[in-house]
Amino acid sequence: MTVPTIQTAGLTKGYGDICALKPLDLQVAEGEWLSVMGHSGSGKSTLMNLVGGLDRPSGGSLSVGGQDLSALSEDGLARFRREFVGIIFQQHHLVPYLSAVENVMLSQYFHSVPDEAEARLALERVGLGHRLKNRPGELSGGEQQRVCIARAIINSPKLLLGDEPTGNLDHKSTVMVLELLKELRAEDRFTVVLVTHNEEVAAWGDRTIYLDDGVLVREERLRS
Amino acid sequence: MLFRILKNSFLKRPKAVVLVFISIAMGAAVATAFLGIAGEVSHKMALELRSYGANILLEPAAVEGGGYLRETDLPKIKTVFWKYNITGFAPYLFGVADLSANGKKERAVVSGTWFAKQLEVPGEEASVQGIRGIAPWWEVNGRWPEGPDEAVVGASLAKRLNVGLGSEVGATVRGRAARFRVAGVVTTGGFEEEQLFAPLVTVQDFLGKPGQVSRVLVSALTVPMDDFGRKDPNSMSKDEYEKWYCTAYVTSVAKNVEEVMAGSRAKPIWQIASAEGALLKKLNAVMLLLTVLALGASASAVSTSLMASMAERSSEIALMKAMGADRFQVAAIFLGEVLIVSTAGGFFGYLAGNQLAALISHSVFNSAIASPLWLFPTAIVSAFLVALAGSVAPLRRALNIEAVRVLKG
Repeated sequence: MTVPTIQTAGLTKGYGDICALKPLDLQVAEGEWLSVMGHSGSGKSTLMNLVGGLDRPSGGSLSVGGQDLSALSEDGLARFRREFVGIIFQQHHLVPYLSAVENVMLSQYFHSVPDEAEARLALERVGLGHRLKNRPGELSGGEQQRVCIARAIINSPKLLLGDEPTGNLDHKSTVMVLELLKELRAEDRFTVVLVTHNEEVAAWGDRTIYLDDGVLVREERLRS
Repeated sequence: MLFRILKNSFLKRPKAVVLVFISIAMGAAVATAFLGIAGEVSHKMALELRSYGANILLEPAAVEGGGYLRETDLPKIKTVFWKYNITGFAPYLFGVADLSANGKKERAVVSGTWFAKQLEVPGEEASVQGIRGIAPWWEVNGRWPEGPDEAVVGASLAKRLNVGLGSEVGATVRGRAARFRVAGVVTTGGFEEEQLFAPLVTVQDFLGKPGQVSRVLVSALTVPMDDFGRKDPNSMSKDEYEKWYCTAYVTSVAKNVEEVMAGSRAKPIWQIASAEGALLKKLNAVMLLLTVLALGASASAVSTSLMASMAERSSEIALMKAMGADRFQVAAIFLGEVLIVSTAGGFFGYLAGNQLAALISHSVFNSAIASPLWLFPTAIVSAFLVALAGSVAPLRRALNIEAVRVLKG
């Protein structure tokens, strides 16, 4: 049996009187692709933020890669994020004044030492070897998302998080991005947690969980 | 990578960078100008204050009534360590004589002095010494004495003797007699109005004290007294004494003069020295306060500009944090930018401040100003301090940005 990369027990998150995530028990195995579905406000992004060390739980336990995230300091969480996690955002969030390769190198800079050759290689892996010097404003939505993927994988994370990574893309680009993620995961064996509204996107994963009003209401295993 | 981030950040946000640059440069310029002219202002003010009167009194060290100083020692005053700080001096020889004029008789003090004596000291620049230099506020109705038998008479004494310009005053003391022609009547507002002033050599002959002087009043440029300056030099260590001796306290300049005048004792005239010191201290405090206020205003402007810039860049900072940048890394980028802008701002502020100081010095004092070497590092450090002070609030805001909230929006 594989060791779970993510393990939660009674995990909750509240914002004042609002309970965004009700006690959640969840295990995600190493190398697994978990899709998280639910409508707006269902708690899926909250779950992703907690798992990615971007936010702190209100209660319960949360272990990612064997680390108890609730016990980490601010700087400890920052270290966890740069060493363990790669994140892909729906809105890309690329630095507008840096080129594609520089955006990838930025992630290296916070992790360890920037290496342009490695950053180029990462962009070549996502099919952007010819767009290295272009700034985000000069790239299409799909290309920007591929830069995000290159930036997310450059430090060889154990966990790749995607918050609606294809939400702003057309169908063709969506398929291209998901194909890419699938290939990279096969090569690098990282765990994927992908938040989406889209059943078709969720179907690319090994398992889908459905959240409603902060509660895990359904779970569906698609492949083992 | 940091360099690339900074370079691109500057190139892509020129307006924000220019605003911060201008704020810092203005602060550094004002600090440079104020500090640059502070020394000049103090010097000019000290010179102006010399018109308050002498601030050092030299008198015979011997006890009451006995001693006199030697006139031949007087030129040595212009050879001492602090000779360039000594702006003037005047010797006096006093004697009480019976004066008569127009049938009236008065017993009064006859003072022999230098009015404006050309002093030649070997190896030193020629100078003019005497009352006219150290007591510029004296008002003479008529003119200063030019001949050996001419005198100026204090206004009160002149009134009592009923003498005016051209009158003759007879003087006798212990069987000696002299006659003085009144060249002028002097108003001083002080005890001098009760005296008759004649050339030193004439009075020496009259009183039978050739080459002798009762006291010397010295006017010197000094720095305000502080606790160290007030210490007793006899209780100082060698190093302390050296520091004290090489600082232009009124006490150390007095000591310096005393050393060359045989048999003398030098005493600061505290009411003058203290008033000058207090005034110069206040002046320096005002200049310093203005400098600090200017730097504070500059820091405030920097803070406002950076706050605005920070609001624009919040998603960028949030992204960096999401990628794992810790507080130190975020601060390094932020402070790196500020450091570069403040270095440039400090440099341009220094250049502009120098020009401003020259302009102020020229228009207020009608003189050129030499920029001291320490002003450049001071300008740069001021710029850093302004930048750092202005960065505190924006940096705190940057460090407190919550990636989740910002990136979600």
